[in-house]
Amino acid sequence: MIRYLMQRIVTMAMTLAAVSVLVFAIIQLPPGDYLTSYIAEIQAQGEQVTADKIQFLREEYGLDKPVWEQYLVWVTGLVQGDLGYSFEYNQPVADVVGERMPLTLILNAATVIFIYLVSFPIGIYSATHQYSWSDHGLSFLGFLGLATPNFLLALILLYLANVWFGTSVGGLMAPEYIDAPWSLAKLGSVLAHLWVPVVVIGTAGTAGMIRRLRANLLDELNRQYVVTARAKGLPERRILFKYPLRMALNPFIADLGSILPQIVSGSVIISAVMSLPTTGPMLLSSLRSQDMYLAGSFLMFLAMLTVVGMFVSDILLAVLDPRIRLGVKGAR
Amino acid sequence: MPQGPGPGTVRSRLRRAAAAAAFPLFFGLLAIAPAHAAGSAEPKSLAAAVEKGDLPPLAERLPSVPRVLPVDSPCSAKDLGGTLNMLAGSAKDTRLMPVFGYARLVGYDSDYQIVPDILQSFDVEEGRIFTFHLRPGMKWSDGKPFTSEDFRYFWEDMAKNPKIAKFGIPPELLADGQEPVVTFPDDYTVIYAWPKPNPGFLAALAAATPFDIYRPAHYLKKYNPNYTDPKKVEEKVEKSGQRNWVALHFKKDRAQRNDNPDMPTLQPWMLVTEPPSERLIFARNPYFFRVDKEGRQLPYVDEVALIISNPGLIPAKVANGEADLQAAYLSFPNYPFLKRGEKRSHYDLRRWKSGKGAHVALYPNLNAKDPVWRKLLQTAKFRRALSLSINRDDINKAIFYGLAEPGGNTVLPGSPFFDAKLRSAWSVYDPDRANAMLDSLGLERDEPDGLRRLPDGREMRIVVETAGESREQSDVLQLVRDDWRKLGIELLIRESQREIFRNRVKAGSTLISVWTGLDNGLPGPASDPGELVPSTAEQLEWPGYGMWVETHGTGGEAPGDTPDMQPLKQLIALREAWRASLDAGERAKIWREALQIFANQVYTIGIVSGVDQLVVVSDALENVPEHGVYNYDPGAFFGMYNPDTFYFACPAVDTAEKRP
Amino acid sequence: MSQIPHFISTEPFDAEATVAAGSVVSERYARASQARLIWWRFLRHRLAVVSLLFLVVSYASILVVEFLAPYELNSRHTDFIFAPPQAVHLFHEGRFVGPFVYPLDYSLDMETLRRTYEPDRAQPLPIRFFCHGERYRMWGLIEADTHLVCPPEGGTLFLLGTDRLGRDMLSRMIYGARISLTIGLVGVTLSFILGISIGGLAGYFGGWVDATVQRVTEILRSLPELPLWLALSAALPLTWSPLLVYFGITLILALLDWPGLARAVRSKLFALREEDFVVAAEMLGASPRRIIFRHLLPNFMSHLIASASLSIPTMILAETALSFLGLGLRPPITSWGVLLSEAQNIEAVALYPWLLLPMLPVVLVVLAFSFVGDGLRDAVDPYQH
Repeated sequence: MIRYLMQRIVTMAMTLAAVSVLVFAIIQLPPGDYLTSYIAEIQAQGEQVTADKIQFLREEYGLDKPVWEQYLVWVTGLVQGDLGYSFEYNQPVADVVGERMPLTLILNAATVIFIYLVSFPIGIYSATHQYSWSDHGLSFLGFLGLATPNFLLALILLYLANVWFGTSVGGLMAPEYIDAPWSLAKLGSVLAHLWVPVVVIGTAGTAGMIRRLRANLLDELNRQYVVTARAKGLPERRILFKYPLRMALNPFIADLGSILPQIVSGSVIISAVMSLPTTGPMLLSSLRSQDMYLAGSFLMFLAMLTVVGMFVSDILLAVLDPRIRLGVKGAR
Repeated sequence: MPQGPGPGTVRSRLRRAAAAAAFPLFFGLLAIAPAHAAGSAEPKSLAAAVEKGDLPPLAERLPSVPRVLPVDSPCSAKDLGGTLNMLAGSAKDTRLMPVFGYARLVGYDSDYQIVPDILQSFDVEEGRIFTFHLRPGMKWSDGKPFTSEDFRYFWEDMAKNPKIAKFGIPPELLADGQEPVVTFPDDYTVIYAWPKPNPGFLAALAAATPFDIYRPAHYLKKYNPNYTDPKKVEEKVEKSGQRNWVALHFKKDRAQRNDNPDMPTLQPWMLVTEPPSERLIFARNPYFFRVDKEGRQLPYVDEVALIISNPGLIPAKVANGEADLQAAYLSFPNYPFLKRGEKRSHYDLRRWKSGKGAHVALYPNLNAKDPVWRKLLQTAKFRRALSLSINRDDINKAIFYGLAEPGGNTVLPGSPFFDAKLRSAWSVYDPDRANAMLDSLGLERDEPDGLRRLPDGREMRIVVETAGESREQSDVLQLVRDDWRKLGIELLIRESQREIFRNRVKAGSTLISVWTGLDNGLPGPASDPGELVPSTAEQLEWPGYGMWVETHGTGGEAPGDTPDMQPLKQLIALREAWRASLDAGERAKIWREALQIFANQVYTIGIVSGVDQLVVVSDALENVPEHGVYNYDPGAFFGMYNPDTFYFACPAVDTAEKRP
Repeated sequence: MSQIPHFISTEPFDAEATVAAGSVVSERYARASQARLIWWRFLRHRLAVVSLLFLVVSYASILVVEFLAPYELNSRHTDFIFAPPQAVHLFHEGRFVGPFVYPLDYSLDMETLRRTYEPDRAQPLPIRFFCHGERYRMWGLIEADTHLVCPPEGGTLFLLGTDRLGRDMLSRMIYGARISLTIGLVGVTLSFILGISIGGLAGYFGGWVDATVQRVTEILRSLPELPLWLALSAALPLTWSPLLVYFGITLILALLDWPGLARAVRSKLFALREEDFVVAAEMLGASPRRIIFRHLLPNFMSHLIASASLSIPTMILAETALSFLGLGLRPPITSWGVLLSEAQNIEAVALYPWLLLPMLPVVLVVLAFSFVGDGLRDAVDPYQH
């Protein structure tokens, strides 16, 4: 077990190192750098920008150094827990991101809970009622959630929420609560705004989850032991909950690692469309303005979530299922 | 020459300056005394602090001669105040507040005359010696005095410090490349003297993005090792993660970006929220130097809340009543939507005039790299044909509800130089004539509705590039494409991004670009005619020639000796003449001549002008003009209309009654 | 029958001929029955069959969009801006007249600047079929003017309304199908080629090749998908022509899709290469290439197709998302994503809801692909039933 653990940790570290190079390369891909967009912007305001000034700013931002040096600076910072400096916000990345972290976590946690709450009963129901009308209807609904372009759904719900309930447009709370301390009223306002993005981001994930749960459960339900149990006259409910459901849940543990990063990155567009005070819109704008340390550290954070998530779920599975752990080599 | 020569102007300018200076003095003495006596002038939100002794009383906070604005509010001090909500699309929009606040050394009044604002008065001699008189007793927002030391710090410790101004003195402070002699006779007087006239100086100070020649010295000295123990500065540098004190100084000194709550300001509202935040609060500056007729300190509104949101959602949020005053991020096509929300959300949708010479204009690039196209684009006849073939009425009807003014890119009716003939020059739809003109240029086509061919045999496909920011521009282009197709020219639209767009134009890679028309559609004789003339490398129609003029012939491209270049050279000469002249009459004449050439040569193909800016004003907000001009420079958007004098209606006043 | 012949021929061994002959026979047999089995099983999945039909029709239609669309892609009608969808009627004043529309009366309220269109119920205008309408160039080559449906003489036919320039939404959606439907197909083909060759190499050779591929796919999978799309498409040079952008976007979509496929190929290969028939082929001297492509791939091709059909909808959705953010395709290219990006404001939702209609074909096609993929997957999995 310990060997397996060590092995996984080493590959994880290597993966992360490679990812950091890739991430940095991707950010550098678009032509120009932060200064080109910054200069265009100050010019648009009628300020004169001379070649000298540009050079000055470039040195000021450290953009005059070769790319590999910029990369090294960034990576050594990352290892030491320093995420770098955001040009756009003129502040350390950690501060910029940190400010939005709590609400981002709330949103994502709410979405995960929504997905599990909705997909479990539906998945179990459609597996036990396979090929019935309600099964078809429910999986159709699930597919529909998957097939609808999220961003439009967000816009439509945003509009309806405003017209029907008078919810302020966009954001996660009414504007007057943004800098107010937490209170019941503020919590209510957050809840009134939260359901739209949660539903919109959730729908896509829900469909996949329902389908997986249904397929897994069906597999289990067709097994010999279930037939045996049924033949012995155990009540259906008991059969279902005693073994097949537990077995069917196994893959969900494997999913746990990947679902969070999926939601985080999936919520980027929605957050931008709905102007949520989460990290999504920030990531988008930083990519656009080539605010490279902000974008880079952010992408790195998401990649880390995935890699660590995969690691954790692998370990969990190995703990749960000795076959994986013992057959690391042979199972290939 | 309709008017007398130079010296007369100087005198008239002097008189104006003196009058402007006397005006507040007069009112100040009259009005302030009673208000002080009554003690009601203290803004309600500050009264408690004054009571407790945390803040000196109003009389000690105001300069001895405050600037008195000729406004009044019927509300009593206890009813004034409140929070003004505005929406912004990005955290960087904190820079809009110094624009709205529009406290400048000198600023434009609503007649586009430059009057003293922060300055108590100023004198100009021969267009080259500028004497500024500060207001004694005036203070920064942290209560420290505002004196000539603040000017000296900028001049000696920043502009002339090679560490900070790495590349020399800013161009605004150079007259024909020469720097001024700056003297500080006393605490309240600053003199800038050049050997030659510097006609753009006052305009630069009054601009929406002002050229600030002063700094809060007492604040910035804390980050300058020449004034503070270098060890202490070093500590600060390390703590903030900057690489050296210059970088830290640079970071702390971003008055226009306005994102440092610690930096003292002279604006009516000062940032109090530490960015980043979704809701930035700007609180009233307790030391603000303007008062109303009754001597009550402005601004009337206690705080401004800038709510950051996705730009795409702003119209929807406005329609939902989430802004008390909003113009940014609203475009004309939002009209029906905003109109629909008027009653439900209790606001008034107003249409302000735009200050742009044209809402949409095409810029043929005379410095295009492609030699064949370049020759063609430099031919006036070709540009005229392109312009004549555009059905502007149709575009107006399709996109602007028929409410815009079809025509070329020239000055607006509000300018003394406006001439309807300039607007209609080469811009009345005449496809037959355009076709005939192209035929006469030898641009043949193989079949009647085929594409014409360039002299080198290529089919005429012209790529028009946009900065990809305005849906309207792309829409207009779609319609122009249909018109040009009938002419035998295919228009291809390429949307890019602003920085790439600018770079491509400069490099000559772009044949024709789209942008808005003249930035200053309402010029007077004192306005620089640089926009009509090659003057900077930023100009979309002749970046190469502009750079040539800007760099005094060391860069860019010299206009050749062909007949096509004659009008261009004439324009350059006219601007030189304008710079040399100090006489308003002569300058007006130069302006008219330049406008004539500019319109007749069709250097830019204006399409429509007079597309109004939508302004949403909450029903509760008073003193916002019903009609106005919404322009960046001159105008500073709302700034020219003094948002510090806007106030929320109080119960004592029936708001419905007050509305015309 | 005197003697049982020796089973080893005395002739010189011609590996090529033997293997080819043997494999062809056995393979044809195996393949035919397998495919048929799959097909039969697939047919049992009704929804999948209907979806497949729908997809076949949709893809066939993109060949003749010019003929199907009542208007040309860029034809606009200044007098009919933001016109709502026109209803098709059959009965006029209780009398059957066949499909017709009422002409629209346009008025502009100068106070609110709202355009209103009232159908003029007095005169029914019959819709024409197989008629001569606007001229177009089929695939940019053949000039023609025959349309399936044309607007009535002197009238208009905006079945799904018009946009802000007075362009017919239906026609634009039909033209948009050409881009949106092919982008998924081209993307999947690219990712297929990448996935199969890379996964095939890894699975067949194992060892360090496998280890490398494993690491690379793991790295690619751990990069967040959406931000990666954004970053890559932001890196597409803005000076590219629309066609290049189209291929660029397809390539980006494919680049991020192949690792999943490669993994599937690899693990299948690992399982299969221990099978007897592979060992046999190896012993008979077949080259690795031949074994992979001739023996192994056909064994799980159907499986791959099933999983590919599930990634087409992902790509179509990704294209809409990218275009929506202004990072994907840009006008003048018209795709469903581009059409939707023009409807991306609450105003459209509130005032001109028909601008959201391009959502419909997206949903339908994505649903159809999902059902077909589901059906295929069920059908190819021999353990399912």
